[in-house]
Amino acid sequence: MNGNKTRHLKPEMQNKKVRLSRADHTFNVVVNVFMVIILIAIVLPLWSTITLSFRPIDFAGSNLDGMFLPPWDWSTAAYESLLGNNGFILAFFNSFKILVGGVFCALFLTIPMAYVLSVQSLPGRKIINMIVIIPYVFNVGMIPAYLLVKDIGLLNHLPAVFLPGAISTYNCIIMRQFFVGIPGELKESARIDGCSEMQVLFRIVLPLSKAIVMTIGLYYGVSFWNDFFNAMLYLNNSYLNPLPILLRNILIGAGVNENLEVSAFANAPINAIKAASVFMSAIPMVIAYPFIQKYFTKGTLLGSVKG
Amino acid sequence: MKKSLRFAAVLLLAALIVAPAFAAGGAETSRQAAGTPEDPVTIELWFGAAITEAGMIPDDWVGYDIIRNELGIDLKLTMLPSSESDQDQKIQAAGAGNVLPDIFMVRRPVLVNLVNQGLVAQVDDCFEKMPNRTALIYDADAIGNATIDGHVYGFASPGAIVRNEGLLVRKDWLDNLGLDIPTTTDELMEVLRAFTFNDPDGNGKNDTYGYGAFIETDANLKGYPGSRLWPIMGAFGVEGLWCFDAPNAGLNIYKPEFFDFMVFLKNMCDEGVIDPNWLSYKKDDFRAAWKQGRFGVMYEQNAAYASQANYAPFDSIFPDGEWVIIDAITGPEGHASIGAFDMNYRIYAVSQRAADAGKLDKICELLEWMSSDEGYYLLGWGQEGINYVFDENGVPVAGDLGDAAFTGADGQVYTQLRNMVFYNSDVELSSRYPTYICEVSGKEMSALRALREMQGMKWTNAIGSSTLPTPSADVQRYYDQSLAEFLSGAKALTQENWDAFIEQFNAVGGAAWNEEGVAALEASGLIRE
Repeated sequence: MNGNKTRHLKPEMQNKKVRLSRADHTFNVVVNVFMVIILIAIVLPLWSTITLSFRPIDFAGSNLDGMFLPPWDWSTAAYESLLGNNGFILAFFNSFKILVGGVFCALFLTIPMAYVLSVQSLPGRKIINMIVIIPYVFNVGMIPAYLLVKDIGLLNHLPAVFLPGAISTYNCIIMRQFFVGIPGELKESARIDGCSEMQVLFRIVLPLSKAIVMTIGLYYGVSFWNDFFNAMLYLNNSYLNPLPILLRNILIGAGVNENLEVSAFANAPINAIKAASVFMSAIPMVIAYPFIQKYFTKGTLLGSVKG
Repeated sequence: MKKSLRFAAVLLLAALIVAPAFAAGGAETSRQAAGTPEDPVTIELWFGAAITEAGMIPDDWVGYDIIRNELGIDLKLTMLPSSESDQDQKIQAAGAGNVLPDIFMVRRPVLVNLVNQGLVAQVDDCFEKMPNRTALIYDADAIGNATIDGHVYGFASPGAIVRNEGLLVRKDWLDNLGLDIPTTTDELMEVLRAFTFNDPDGNGKNDTYGYGAFIETDANLKGYPGSRLWPIMGAFGVEGLWCFDAPNAGLNIYKPEFFDFMVFLKNMCDEGVIDPNWLSYKKDDFRAAWKQGRFGVMYEQNAAYASQANYAPFDSIFPDGEWVIIDAITGPEGHASIGAFDMNYRIYAVSQRAADAGKLDKICELLEWMSSDEGYYLLGWGQEGINYVFDENGVPVAGDLGDAAFTGADGQVYTQLRNMVFYNSDVELSSRYPTYICEVSGKEMSALRALREMQGMKWTNAIGSSTLPTPSADVQRYYDQSLAEFLSGAKALTQENWDAFIEQFNAVGGAAWNEEGVAALEASGLIRE
């Protein structure tokens, strides 16, 4: 193991300890302290949210006291209330449908778009590129978008949440840059072997582009999973509401109703419900991320430095 | 390859050109329905749900059938988002697309915009078609709240309960120290000192304070330092952001008494008789603090103090503890007020589209039915025997109905429309705030009793505050920050510094804000002689 790490060093340097100067030590200490501060800044709110979600209903201490409440005093009432709430389960599945449908549609549309834009010989490439970039700079605005969604009959349908944003200019450009970086000789040889343009895309380019496809898929997935605004605007049927709508209703509505004897989640403190709902809605992305992380880093870097 | 790419480009262009042809969407072909159970009129209603987080009214709700069979209406319901700004955006977008529902809840500023665009129907003639509902809900103030340029453009009904906060003192601490309930600012100061320095809970520790508060402000009614200090501000006659009384009509901060109040509050801070965390407390911290016995005088909302779930932690820690609600403290000039109050209204407007389709009468019929006994109890509590039972006083209660009760996880979704029928009647409040016995101390408690006591105290009428102009972010920041600096000691609270602050406040836009507010007060006839 150690040998592998030092193989790039000259033989006389291998197995020798590197002596660090005082400045190096100081630098290391400063960097480590800085990283520890960053770590604390990340962990503290996370820990606060987690402990808050397990707060028992009869707890009378402050938030700070609650962060140090021993686990045997924790209560799972907030999670039980959420999972026992039909609205939560329904919203979760609606979000899941939007996630799956959205990522599929977005990749289905973005990949060919990015590929076409990456082909140098495309007639009018510059103009098309400009047309693609214009909406990235100048947003169309809420009302025209609403009118469009209404006129094509998407109001009150789940695709209204993801179709308007199915091709993100930003993601498309990143993917285009990745495709530009794939050696032209590979595509050329495929064409010589008789591949059509679609076959070049699906048999040559895409197998080499797993990293960017996974990365862009994650980008889309996160944005669709968290999308609140489109759902709020375009869905009038409350049974179609996804998780972010419910989450917002819990965060705002539960606060409004906090002093009523009747509340949606009577067995747990309102703040525990809020924290548990935030935590639970983040779980799918937290689970997915480690599996995609290796592609994510690679895909993002490749997209950014090439082209 | 070039050929196929060219084909793709042409296809793209063609799609762009053809797209507008589809943009016409489904043209609306409407036919006047008969309004019978067989041929019902469809009424689309966007409503503010009572408990948005609980979910939508289920499809099997018996109300749908009753409304269809009795009124000939096919009711289509949509829950509006719980945030007001989200509601505004949704309604404005629907307005821009001319797809407003037949009847919808809307805030007054948005309503004004929609009226200007001609998207909302006048409903001046509707009240006589709903005699029962009008008598119960739509008084002159309510109708005035939905009146724009001399015409009524909505049905305004009472919102949240008002005057539901009060000044509370730890009676057991007073008794331990042999003190009486304070009635003047001097007496209050003596009590605060005793609570801070004389170990009122007898635990031998110096761990208590006199007054507890946190900063609770808004841009209309609760000017800095906020409503939690109102009983003290009331003693100086400066409670609420605006003064409605001639000749001082305008922002309260211009009154000399505001400086006197600041001096009194600064003394409280300097003497350490107010919980020093009050400037940084959030609402939850404040509520945790009084439940832990950290201070003995506070301003709190009736249910936050006395409802079963909220009072239980205090009861378990201090079974012998007792809070009493006291009347307003009288200041040096004889002023006294618990606080200022404004009325909240929920406005339901009818779209012009619905009126043009001849649905206005059916909408009136629906609203009138909602206020009938049948509609009132069905929307308010659900079905008798399933979601509620009547107690011996005729008040709907959960009884032994479990989750199906209107308070239970399954039953509460059937009461999502209750804000359309509730008007804070005794029955509603008795049902919402039942009397209960505390688990540890065995005391009998009632948030309703607390409410009635609080409402019986001396309050300042500030109805109309919500219609007054709000300051720009810069003016608001300067106002709040400067007062905080005086209270924290960052700036010395002297008359000279105060005058300089007022001068600078005027310069950054305070004077313009005040003038605009006074003009609005005059225009609305809200100034009291």
